Amino acid sequence: MAVGGPAGERRFLDPAVLARLGTLELKARTIVEGFISGLHRSPFKGFSVEFAEYRQYMPGDDLATIDWKVYARSDRHYIKKFEEETNLGCHIMLDVSASMAYGSPGMTKLEYGSCLAASLAYLMNRQRDAVGLTAFDDGIVTMLPASARPGHLRGVLVTLDRLTIGKQTNVSKPLQQLAESLSKRGMVVLISDLLDDPERVIRGLKHFQFRGTDVIVFQVLHVDELSFPFNRATRFEDLETDRQVTAVPAIVRDHYLEAMQGLIERYRRELGAVGIDYHLVDTSQPLELSLLAYLSTRSRDY
Amino acid sequence: MSFLSPLFLLGALAAAVPIVLHLLRKEPDTTVKFAAVTMLEDAPVEHADRRRLRELLLLALRVAALLLLALAFARPFLTSDAAGAATGATIVALDTSFSLSAPGRFAAAQALARAAIDDAPGEHLVGVVTFADGAQVVQAPTVDRTLARAAIDGARAGFGATRYRAALATAADSIGGRAGRVVVVTDLQASGWDSGERVDVPAQVELEIADVGVLPANLAVTAARRSGDRIVATVRNGGNERRDVRLHLEIDGVAAADAAATAGAGQTVDVAIPLPTPTGNAATLILDDSDGIPADDRRYLVLSESSRPVVLVVTNAGDIGRDAFYAQQALLATGADGASFDLDGASGAQLSGWDTATLARHAAVLLLSTHGIDQRGRELLAAYVRGGGGVLVAASPDVDAQVAAGATGTAIDMIALPPAPAGAPRVLAPADLRHPVFRAFSSDAATLGLVTFRQVVAVRGTGCQPLAQFSSGEPALIECPSGEGRVLVLASDLDSRWNDFPTHATFVPFLHETVTYLGGNRSRTAGFVIGSAPVGVPAEPGHRVLPAADGGQERLIAVNIDGRESDPARLTADEFRAAVVPLQQEGRAPGDALEARQQEEQQNFWRYAILLMIAVLVAESLVGARAA
Repeated sequence: MAVGGPAGERRFLDPAVLARLGTLELKARTIVEGFISGLHRSPFKGFSVEFAEYRQYMPGDDLATIDWKVYARSDRHYIKKFEEETNLGCHIMLDVSASMAYGSPGMTKLEYGSCLAASLAYLMNRQRDAVGLTAFDDGIVTMLPASARPGHLRGVLVTLDRLTIGKQTNVSKPLQQLAESLSKRGMVVLISDLLDDPERVIRGLKHFQFRGTDVIVFQVLHVDELSFPFNRATRFEDLETDRQVTAVPAIVRDHYLEAMQGLIERYRRELGAVGIDYHLVDTSQPLELSLLAYLSTRSRDY
Repeated sequence: MSFLSPLFLLGALAAAVPIVLHLLRKEPDTTVKFAAVTMLEDAPVEHADRRRLRELLLLALRVAALLLLALAFARPFLTSDAAGAATGATIVALDTSFSLSAPGRFAAAQALARAAIDDAPGEHLVGVVTFADGAQVVQAPTVDRTLARAAIDGARAGFGATRYRAALATAADSIGGRAGRVVVVTDLQASGWDSGERVDVPAQVELEIADVGVLPANLAVTAARRSGDRIVATVRNGGNERRDVRLHLEIDGVAAADAAATAGAGQTVDVAIPLPTPTGNAATLILDDSDGIPADDRRYLVLSESSRPVVLVVTNAGDIGRDAFYAQQALLATGADGASFDLDGASGAQLSGWDTATLARHAAVLLLSTHGIDQRGRELLAAYVRGGGGVLVAASPDVDAQVAAGATGTAIDMIALPPAPAGAPRVLAPADLRHPVFRAFSSDAATLGLVTFRQVVAVRGTGCQPLAQFSSGEPALIECPSGEGRVLVLASDLDSRWNDFPTHATFVPFLHETVTYLGGNRSRTAGFVIGSAPVGVPAEPGHRVLPAADGGQERLIAVNIDGRESDPARLTADEFRAAVVPLQQEGRAPGDALEARQQEEQQNFWRYAILLMIAVLVAESLVGARAA
């Protein structure tokens, strides 16, 4: 799965990430392909189905997929695998607000989110799904309409590479703008730290769900934001508002972690209640683990 | 606003410390651009602007606390404009001894005193001191002359004897270091000065004497004693003419007998009055003298024979004939008034085995040795003293200071001093000739100076007053309070090992007076002079009943005026001034400092500063706690 082309493309499509995804035992390709077929619940099922391969039956496989003719010949259970082709329209929304600039050098939340967006775009494009990209802060900064053209992936990757940090976060506003611009049902992948008013964020995402659009949410947070590992008295300056708060971490840590956990749990609970997939992504973990966690969830649900 | 100790204001410089620390204080050197600051907003943290405000408040509170502390230590006080403008003071010392109680004499003295107030320079503060045996400031220096006049109007002649030393010392203290004058309104009785007595008065204080005049023709009963079946009264004719003396005797308030005699001018006569049979107990002699001093026309006497007081002498072995021969002989000798003492001897070990009642039967204790006195014995003696007993501790190799302190309930200490150099022995000099211990010596006090002390200890104790001192300056006899009792400590022994006191004639009266004084309520002595009467007895002549002490019986005593006050002998103004030693004081106006101290002590602003500082510190703690 070598990926050629300019350095900017390689930056996002880390060969090691994709290679490791591909080397995960026999399931790796299945999971990736399963991501394409299972993750995207196609609204136009049965448009084009091609036989892919036989695979020995494993406990848990759907009995309907067993090829009984092969069983009659070989006295072994094999299931037939098909490569499903869809015309899914997937829109990746990447938060480029100032709060996404936090992180260690070389891997800010924005860079991590960009990698994640590029990976998803690559996988979708490889599946010949239409992929669109919207970058936003308090409004839409950049928007590429969804397309399955082979050259479109390059455009997406170049756009991701050229993104710069924006201003304050306002997730609900671009969600509304995007919802109004989508003419067909499809999928929306939101990549953001979601450090915004959760009420507005959840309301905006529910709006997509009500329109029949599948929504997947990746909340990207740095490990510092999850564990608050600071020790010395520190002046914390808000990346978006420049407001300063001086605090002794030992004193405020418990309160902070409780508040952060409360936010996460609220997203997890309220988004899950309306069928929106929510995933907390820790930038300290390898990117592929985040993808695998997501794929595992999808393969379990479908 | 002035300050008693302005140098402490330098302490206010310490207020610069928190300011400097505030200026040098580094902001947290770690600044993190963080995305989830909103999560910290509800946490107990301070925002930068609020923190700055809080820090400024904390700084102000800390600086204020330090400034208040420095202010409190500087002892601030307000000086009134009038008092501040005053350049001097006039103190009127008004004689209230009973010699001024003759008709019209005290009114004359008051008029002189008021005139002294009126004549005081306009820029002077005025104050009033009354004096007899002691002196009291009845009006501190003030600009309000009405107050001074009111103080004079409110004064009354009492029953005390004149003592100029107390008057001048108190007036000098009151006038402080200011330039000014002391006006002594008195009848200039010679008895007001003890023999050789001197008093220091600041040189810038002018001494004026307002003479009330000579005593009127006066008859006085100066003494009385029982002699068998009669009473012998001593009557002095202080006038310039021959007078008929008529005495009346009352027994228990009932007229019993009369007597008559004739006394020449300035003569003293003894008048004998036979006692009726059966006789009573409380005798009062009344002299007809309508023009003279009323206070000395009566003499009170207790007629009943009383058992002789018992004195306990604590020695090494309890054998007072061997261990305390001189003290034994002195106390067994018959005194001038016929009184003498019975003696008990005990060792320290024996004393420790006694009970409270056994010890309480003794009028006084001579502690000549502490050997063998254990903890129980110490507590027994200490309780005896606290209950009103008297102890004389005589320093010697047999007396341990720590045991003596424990046994007397005092904080006395004794440190051995090197022997006096050959040719310059230490001699004794009373510091207070009016003290009952030395009263009997009167003008013969100089004879105490014949006693030489080869070895002494340095005695001292908290709250102790020196009654006599050695020529080398160390205290020779101190009196220490302990509960209701009296403790005297002699810095040398009573057995001629360290001195030759027992071989002098003064030894016997010294020991008698000392034991009598120590006995106080427990003494069987029935006659007292105002000023040396037992504790709690009013300073008025008459018969008094002393309450029972330690299971004993009530006791009748007689309190009389000091007969010396009836002596018409007078001083001239120059003779009066001869006893006053001008004291040159170095430095600038020490009296100002004294007045400032008095003003500061009256205002006590430092307490408010301390209270305010505490409040500021509490506020600082609260603000600091919120910041934390």
